[in-house]
Amino acid sequence: MRKLIPALTAILLLGTRLSAQDWTVPDDRKGRLSTFAFDDETRKTGQKLYTANCKSCHGIPGEDNWLRLVPPPGDPASEKFQKNSDGEMFYKVVTGRGQMPSFRTVLSANEIWALISYLRSYNQGYVQQVMQLITSSAYPDAEIRIALAWNSADSTVDISATAVSEKSSVAVTDAEMQLMVQRRFGHLAVDEPRNTDSRGFVRFRMPAGLPGDTAGNVLVMARFTDEETFGSAGKDTILRAGMPSFNESLVAPRAMWNTARKAPVWIILTYLGGVLIAWGFIMLVLLKLRDIFIIGENSTLNNK
Amino acid sequence: MNSGSRAKLNTKNNIIPDLMAGTIFKSERYRQKVESVSADILRNVSLNRGFLLWMGFLTAVLLACLYAYTIQLREGLGVTGLRDITSWGVYIANFVFFVATSLVGMLISCVLGLSGAKWVKPIARIAEIIAVAFAAVAGLVIISDMGRPDRLPYVFLFGRFQSPILWDVTVVTTYFFVSLLLWFLPMIPDLAIAKDRLPGRPAFLVRAYEILSVKWVDHEKQFEILHKAMRILLILIIPLAFAIHTVTSWLFAVTPRPGWDSTIFGPYFISGAFVSGTAAVVIAMYFFRVSYKLEKYITDFHFDRIGRVLILVSVLYFYFNLNEFLVPGYKLKTSDAIHLRELFAGHHAFLFWGVQLLGLVIPAILLLFRKIRKPLPMLVISVVVLAAAWLKRYIIVVPPQAHPYLPAQNYPVEWIVYKPTLIEIAVSVAAIVLVLMIITILSKLFPVLPIQEIAEEEALAKNESV
Repeated sequence: MRKLIPALTAILLLGTRLSAQDWTVPDDRKGRLSTFAFDDETRKTGQKLYTANCKSCHGIPGEDNWLRLVPPPGDPASEKFQKNSDGEMFYKVVTGRGQMPSFRTVLSANEIWALISYLRSYNQGYVQQVMQLITSSAYPDAEIRIALAWNSADSTVDISATAVSEKSSVAVTDAEMQLMVQRRFGHLAVDEPRNTDSRGFVRFRMPAGLPGDTAGNVLVMARFTDEETFGSAGKDTILRAGMPSFNESLVAPRAMWNTARKAPVWIILTYLGGVLIAWGFIMLVLLKLRDIFIIGENSTLNNK
Repeated sequence: MNSGSRAKLNTKNNIIPDLMAGTIFKSERYRQKVESVSADILRNVSLNRGFLLWMGFLTAVLLACLYAYTIQLREGLGVTGLRDITSWGVYIANFVFFVATSLVGMLISCVLGLSGAKWVKPIARIAEIIAVAFAAVAGLVIISDMGRPDRLPYVFLFGRFQSPILWDVTVVTTYFFVSLLLWFLPMIPDLAIAKDRLPGRPAFLVRAYEILSVKWVDHEKQFEILHKAMRILLILIIPLAFAIHTVTSWLFAVTPRPGWDSTIFGPYFISGAFVSGTAAVVIAMYFFRVSYKLEKYITDFHFDRIGRVLILVSVLYFYFNLNEFLVPGYKLKTSDAIHLRELFAGHHAFLFWGVQLLGLVIPAILLLFRKIRKPLPMLVISVVVLAAAWLKRYIIVVPPQAHPYLPAQNYPVEWIVYKPTLIEIAVSVAAIVLVLMIITILSKLFPVLPIQEIAEEEALAKNESV
């Protein structure tokens, strides 16, 4: 016993140390806050995003039913998760570590904040602090505007970034931009991130054969990769930059896996035909029984 | 009707041709024979003490087993050994066994009857009783495998034409109904004979006979219509019987699992069904012969003949077994190999070889000897064959599930290795008890052998000898 207590203490201390050192977030990112206030709307969006992106490993928050992996993913409603600041949570989701993937290109900043707003709903004592819109530190007092032009001839997207203030309008130069396309389960990074040139222009090449909707439209999003320097300004535009795709739903045509209404015609006919024939003959036999009865009744009457 | 048209009918109706032998029904000999045969057979139609005791015993067992079912109903299927990976167990094995055994009605009355084997006449009704009893309970067995039996109507309300489950429910119901008619129709003349010869029996029984005999007066036209109706049914039952057991086999064969993923599952099941059904008929024949004292009608000759049938269907089933196991066993594809090793040399080897040898190969060899084709040895063999037939269904249903194509990983071992619980066994016993109850009622309240046909045959035989 005398030896056991120090041993246990050592293990506990070691455990605490291990968990303490496990995931450090740079100091300048810890204090980052959402630019919008969390409300029911954002929590709802966050829940949807959580179900699509996080639930498979982390389980249902508060139920402690996360996937038994090593290291354990853990329950986002737990104190261990909730003691993170908003900025720390944001950083961890963006960067990922080990088996936890990075969601940098999968979720937009606003989506990650919506996710955090959902997770915070499991924390009674949480009080949100909201930050003003991130403004550019490189172009103070200016609003950065992003324009986007589609050149269908050579499948390129030209983006221009301009910092507009009351007094002047200047090109945003040497700012790294990322072009993304919305897909069903996240965002697809298109081309490599590129820096704006001296005129504030940057050109991305759209990949050939990118599936769009029935008209070939895709939602294209341009962002600065360094939000700290250039702000969170972005541009979302629908461009006819994709291939028109007519993906018929798998449950639209008649098929074996479809509902009864959409069963293949041959199987409906075979089934109903078989049933009709079998029961038709059974009915015929029952009618013959009736004939036997009638004959018997008539002959008894005659005999009387 | 003149004798000319009767002769024409006679050639047309080879199912029960002697019935159309004309004047025989009016002869004194026939009347005498009806008296003696009906006396022998109707002697057993009674609600005597033996019947009541036996039914009382069955009811007590049934109630005890139904108590187990109420637990399952309350707690859900978790009280069974069924889990995610092995989700079909003794219930489904029982179901397949029941459907299989019920197929014998078609084999005896139809395949043998239509091909002109006269010796099946006395046992055709026994075969139909077995068919009706097993087909009726087969449907109930399916319900016992449902976690939410209250949702059974959904099969009809929201059933999909593409689902073998819907086909199965449909054909089981239809087959049951046609088997019931095949049992009932040939009995109509007997009911008419019997309704005046049941003194001392309860009034409700006599009344039932009167209603069910549908005013039968041995009118020539009635015979003619009855034979037409029988002919329709005997032909209809062939595709139906094939459908009922082929669809049962498709419940497995359309599921991609090693061991089920087979193109010969339909004929494999049907040939196996003939084996178990014939064995069941032999057991019933023996029981009725001894207990009902019908040695005069169910003779050694009948046992000899049905013994030959059992050899034939066993050889047929053996042939399909050879195909079912040798072909994948020769190729040993990875997934099949795991399953087959379990059967040939693994966990299920004892059961597998026991069933194949004791339930199929050895009985077929033994039955080749004339001396074995006697009532008592055949009873012993048939009991072994029937028990093996049940275990064979277990082998078909359970082991393949332990090795799905997508490997079962990170599951608790009891989710993969199936072990039936006491509740499951009790509910399965309830099904068997129900079968016995139906057989008892049908064979105790109604003539178990065809009085009219036997009387007619005996009268004709006398005629010829004279």
